[in-house]
Amino acid sequence: MNRALRRISIAVLVMFVLLLVNINYLQGFEPASLAAKPNNARAFEAQFQYQRGNIVTSDGVTIAESVPTNDVYKYQRKYPHGPEYAPVTGYDTLYSQTGIEYYENSVLNGSDSALTVRNFIDLLTGKQRKGANVTVTINSKAQDAAWNALQSDTSGKPGAVVALNPQTGAILAMASYPSYNPNVLATHDGKLLNQADQALLQQAGNPLLNRAINFTWPPGSTFKIVTSSGYLTQNPSSTPQTNVNSPTQLKLPQTTHILTNNNGEVCGNGSGQASLLTAFAQSCDTTFGSLGMTLGAPTLNNFAELFGMNSKTLKIPMPVSPSNYAVPNPPSQALTAFSAIGQYSDTVTPLQEAMFAAAIANSGKLMTPYLVKQVTASDLSTVETTNSPQLSQAVSPTVATDLGQMMLAVVQDSDGTANAYNTAAVGFTMAGKTGTAQNGVNNTGLNDAVFTCYAPYDNPQIAVGVIIQGGGYGATAAAPIAVQVIKAYLASVGK
Amino acid sequence: MSSITVPSPAVDPDHPWVPAARGRRRTELIMLIFAFALIAFAFANVGYSLTGKLPSSMAEYLGAFVLITLVGHLAVRRLAPWADPLLLPLAALLNGLGIVMTYRLAQQASLLSASLSPSATGIQVLYSAIGVGCFVAVLALIREPRVLQRYTYTLGAVGLALLALPALLPASISEVYGAKIQIRLGTFTVQPEEFAKLALAVSFAGYLVAKRDVLALAGRRVLGLDLPRARDLGPILVIWAASLLLLVFESDIGTSSVFMGLFVAMLYIATSRTSWLLLGFVMFVTGALAAAKLFGHVGERFNIWLHPFSGQNPSHNAYQLVQGLYGMASGGLLGKGLGGGQPYITPLVQSDLVFTAFGEELGLAGLMAILLIYGLIVQRGLRAAMSVKDPFSKLLAGGLSFMLALQVFVIVGGVTRLIPLTGITTPFLSQGGSSLVASWMLIALLVRISDSARRPPPRPIQEEGLTQVVTLT
Repeated sequence: MNRALRRISIAVLVMFVLLLVNINYLQGFEPASLAAKPNNARAFEAQFQYQRGNIVTSDGVTIAESVPTNDVYKYQRKYPHGPEYAPVTGYDTLYSQTGIEYYENSVLNGSDSALTVRNFIDLLTGKQRKGANVTVTINSKAQDAAWNALQSDTSGKPGAVVALNPQTGAILAMASYPSYNPNVLATHDGKLLNQADQALLQQAGNPLLNRAINFTWPPGSTFKIVTSSGYLTQNPSSTPQTNVNSPTQLKLPQTTHILTNNNGEVCGNGSGQASLLTAFAQSCDTTFGSLGMTLGAPTLNNFAELFGMNSKTLKIPMPVSPSNYAVPNPPSQALTAFSAIGQYSDTVTPLQEAMFAAAIANSGKLMTPYLVKQVTASDLSTVETTNSPQLSQAVSPTVATDLGQMMLAVVQDSDGTANAYNTAAVGFTMAGKTGTAQNGVNNTGLNDAVFTCYAPYDNPQIAVGVIIQGGGYGATAAAPIAVQVIKAYLASVGK
Repeated sequence: MSSITVPSPAVDPDHPWVPAARGRRRTELIMLIFAFALIAFAFANVGYSLTGKLPSSMAEYLGAFVLITLVGHLAVRRLAPWADPLLLPLAALLNGLGIVMTYRLAQQASLLSASLSPSATGIQVLYSAIGVGCFVAVLALIREPRVLQRYTYTLGAVGLALLALPALLPASISEVYGAKIQIRLGTFTVQPEEFAKLALAVSFAGYLVAKRDVLALAGRRVLGLDLPRARDLGPILVIWAASLLLLVFESDIGTSSVFMGLFVAMLYIATSRTSWLLLGFVMFVTGALAAAKLFGHVGERFNIWLHPFSGQNPSHNAYQLVQGLYGMASGGLLGKGLGGGQPYITPLVQSDLVFTAFGEELGLAGLMAILLIYGLIVQRGLRAAMSVKDPFSKLLAGGLSFMLALQVFVIVGGVTRLIPLTGITTPFLSQGGSSLVASWMLIALLVRISDSARRPPPRPIQEEGLTQVVTLT
């Protein structure tokens, strides 16, 4: 019987080995995938057991923090600046997140694989686990200026501002109006959360929408940057001083429509020819409509894409809605002319507006915009730092210099559309382009005000894109906001 | 069986170095104290984790438990002085951990899905006292394991009656969570199957020892395997039928498989015929699969096992299994610490799924330790079986050890999704009395058999012969 008993012992051994292997697999390898199951109450509650990391601006202002609380969970999420930073932080509710709260969730809640070793050391040393802090690229002074300007200067019109560092692509400001207070969504009371959510969804103006990156408007005349880029690149001998066709009226082929300038004004001296610089500074639609027809829609499309338009993959890390340029189909010279001046089906995000100026400011080199500067573990060691790559070489440095001169003329020349913001008026040298996009059926709606610019001209530090829906002229509604953002930013960095 | 005479090694003058056999009762005491220290540490851990101070009732619970097990130790000293020194401390350690977990869960009783009264810990200590009492009683009443052989058929009848009883009683007093496995007397419930398993193990051992020569006869040879003769199939068919009836009428697939496995393993130990193992396995699997097809509640178990996360399963039928898995996953390698997890989310965590509660709070490290404790008990039991000379005791010890291993395999494998989950108790750890008392009785039988296995042979009375009679098997 002992031989059989020995075999039974082996069977028992096999049974125990199976159990041991199985629990090793279950507890050693499966926890992450089991924690990710949607109905895992433990994992759900675990996110409130640890102190979630803070979100801070690059100059050290805390815009999201978790403070100890006495209700069902240990920590309460707080957004000290509420709506101002909502487009950046997003919200962290019981059930979902948006914005940085969503896209950096794993580092904020400490579950990211990059933090595993630190968590294990914390476990061994008995330290309370804590999520990592996320530093965003936002400059609080620029953000304050953008938010205050959107709130006070636009008489309640929706709009958004984005500021970029042209050399790096770092987003210095990102404000959207109207906005919402993420604190009301951070409640631990499911019923209150639901009410707040419903109220925000039904509120006029769609405050939950981040207009800076997720809404598009026609770029209007700011698109002339793209058209000019195409012209200057394809005609290497031309300069801003080259004379181009600039009629007072431009008859569009195959239609009865006649393209005129704003209020039927003449372009340049009225001779039908004007320098590219003058046409750009005065924003002559006839000039650029004509240039666009010469270049053709496919060329315009190429240059629009070099500036980042039509990209469905851009993430900052939040996905950015594509800014659109469409080649008219079937081909149409008239529609191409409209598309060359930022009408037809052209639409852009405020971020795209900032990218136009940023590319010119950085010698044609367009950097990929990004929002997360670095991730810092709770012991203050750096987990990761963002080095954003170049997105494209939109134009050659020569063309960028030419376009810089033209954008400078828009602001500095006496007949430039944004002359009101010349160096003498604002205290720094800005280069930019206004846009006033016609809107509505037969263009009867209020014009959207668009402005893209960078400053200082000789040493660009900041590029800004502003769109105010129904704001009117770009120069009067959008440009002052950009000026305030630039002024605040340059003051904060001491330039 | 044959009897021959061989020189007795113990008194061989050429080998004077043979050490005198030792009882090792002091080892047992030291190991017991070690177990007490672990339990006290776990108890304190729960208190500090939940309330930040030592549990106020720790002294009385722990004191009572120490007293109870020391009585067990004294009984072993007196009644089974040569017994294996590890069996009692290992069982006491598991029992103590079970009490700690019951206490820990009772502290958050309001969060549990099934009620656990605040006095559950006290009741569990009381059950431990009854369990150790039965342990002592078994040792006192059965001084020689062989005497049990006399009651082969009586115990067989008692065992079957105990198994059948809940099925015959109205559901109002026998049904618990869809399975008819208990007898409810007021607030007090007994699960007769726990005792039936012991009675049947003894009965199987007696029957197989008597019939093993016949059962070992080879019948037809198929595919290199000696099949038993058709006329010898009677007993296995009876047990198979009984286990299937259990499955169908009491919805108790867990006990049914333990029951069948026990019989087949003992049949194999008795006859050394692999064909019996194969036959039993095939019969049970076919029977279970057929039952799964025919009866919804059995088929459901397989569905839950194979697809716990699909469709509505995680929130409905597979909720318990899935929550247990989530609990173990949240425990990870080192666990949340006793009192630090949320085992109360898992339904029935105090009984069927107590293993997952340990997994959540002690982690993989704790579960491996617990499994190794079970493994050690089984190993000590099998060792006693191998070294005891009497074939009945051999068979009984082998069967009981295997049954314990099988029970652990079925429930632990079930809650970790190695095999379909079936509700049986985790020996010593689950909250509840019947299983604990029966487990202590099982340990008592192993202690008794190990005592007779390790007892030194009686000194020969006549010096001139220098021989003694031994039985070779």
